[in-house]
Amino acid sequence: MDIPMAKDLDGRFDRLEKAVNAMVDSVAKNTPSEKIAEELVAAQENLYDGLKLLERHQNNHARIQQLRQETALYDTQIKDIMTSLWNMRKELKAVPTTTHPTTGPKYQFTTAELLAYARRISRNTLPPPGVTNGVDMSTPEPSSQPTQTPFTSFNTSFTGTAAGTPGPAMSTPTPNPTLDPTQTTTTTSQQTTTAAATTAKPTTTESKLPPHLQPAVNPLHNAAFQPWPTEAQIRSGGLAAIQRLVDAGIDPRGYDPEKEERRRQAEEQARKEAEERARQEREVAERRMREERERMARERERARMQQQMQQQMEGAGAGAAGVDGRRDGGGGVAGAGTDKPKQFTFLGADDDDDDDEDED
Amino acid sequence: MDSGPMSVDSAALDPPSIPNGANEPKHGGYSRFELELEVQSLANPQYLNYLASRKFLTNPAFVAYLDYLQYWRRPPYLKYLTFPTSTLKMLELLQQEKFRQDIISPDLAQALIADGMKTAVEWHREG
Repeated sequence: MDIPMAKDLDGRFDRLEKAVNAMVDSVAKNTPSEKIAEELVAAQENLYDGLKLLERHQNNHARIQQLRQETALYDTQIKDIMTSLWNMRKELKAVPTTTHPTTGPKYQFTTAELLAYARRISRNTLPPPGVTNGVDMSTPEPSSQPTQTPFTSFNTSFTGTAAGTPGPAMSTPTPNPTLDPTQTTTTTSQQTTTAAATTAKPTTTESKLPPHLQPAVNPLHNAAFQPWPTEAQIRSGGLAAIQRLVDAGIDPRGYDPEKEERRRQAEEQARKEAEERARQEREVAERRMREERERMARERERARMQQQMQQQMEGAGAGAAGVDGRRDGGGGVAGAGTDKPKQFTFLGADDDDDDDEDED
Repeated sequence: MDSGPMSVDSAALDPPSIPNGANEPKHGGYSRFELELEVQSLANPQYLNYLASRKFLTNPAFVAYLDYLQYWRRPPYLKYLTFPTSTLKMLELLQQEKFRQDIISPDLAQALIADGMKTAVEWHREG
């Protein structure tokens, strides 16, 4: 209760007290006065009013207290909200964002393009699981939160414990040129025996694979990741191919090995065809020559025969009768006197001429 | 191979067109686009050291070529780089004469290799 209210009530009490005293006095002196009685009633009513006022005042006070409490509550709530907002702002500001250069050109691209590009370059920007380039990945970086990325957790499980645990790398379709099937089977059997041994004597068995077996279960054992083209890739590239051409004394400008190869094949084909043609021509020529030779041989033969005939004729000039007689005799034997021996038949015409000449 | 005399007189060419399957002139079996895409070899510090030791990086014509190759920084060429970060960084560094001189040091090349390989493993660990 505050001071003005108390003073007000005190005043009212005093008035009532005075009125009561005056009343008591007047009654004691036996001089009752209507005025004093009215004053007493008025004082009493005044006090009633004061008490009612006090009640209201108290109610109001309680209400004020309640409101103050509510205000305080809301104040704390507001403070909390402000604090969390502030923290949130700090967190937001702490989130690393890509700083975009304010100057320079900007290019439009779609999310799909960006994702496709990210997928295409990921094999060159992110090392395969388990490849650490010698960096110790099991301990978190001192500056960053100790978050367990899939890679580090896999790495821990792979190098630290459980040699036979199939890690994510086992399910990834990584081409594995070094691991041949026989090696795999031996490894599996080795693992099986290790597992059996583990169940038999769990306290004494080493849970880690011996170092010489680790490359067998991890195809990327000791593999290094380079975020740039390797020397082998550069050596198998186009510039290296051009260097080889230059070394071979070929000007690479406008030189296309495929085209050259096609041209070479075409030339080869043309050469073969030309050879074939030449061979055919040669055969024809040879045949012709052979025929010619045969013809000449025949002619020579004929000439020889002719000469022989002539000689025979000349030689027979003296003893023609004997020959004729022999002939006739032969003809008689054959039964056909008109037939001459075959070798003479085709000389018949000449024969006659010769005979004529001879007779002349 | 040695850095032979090269001409700087010829005007800078326009970047090659994106291959579209059409018949275009081949040099040693490769189109200009394919050959210039090997700008990515520059991302390899060892290769840069090799180029420096063969005096390529002091050849004005080669420096002009390095400047010309910067067209890879913008579309539509940018998206064909499969080693974008290291390539573009090296391309940027190679525009500075100091870097072109310094990369002849095998120590610098080795440091770049070690740093690059370490960063390649560590960059995705944050968060």
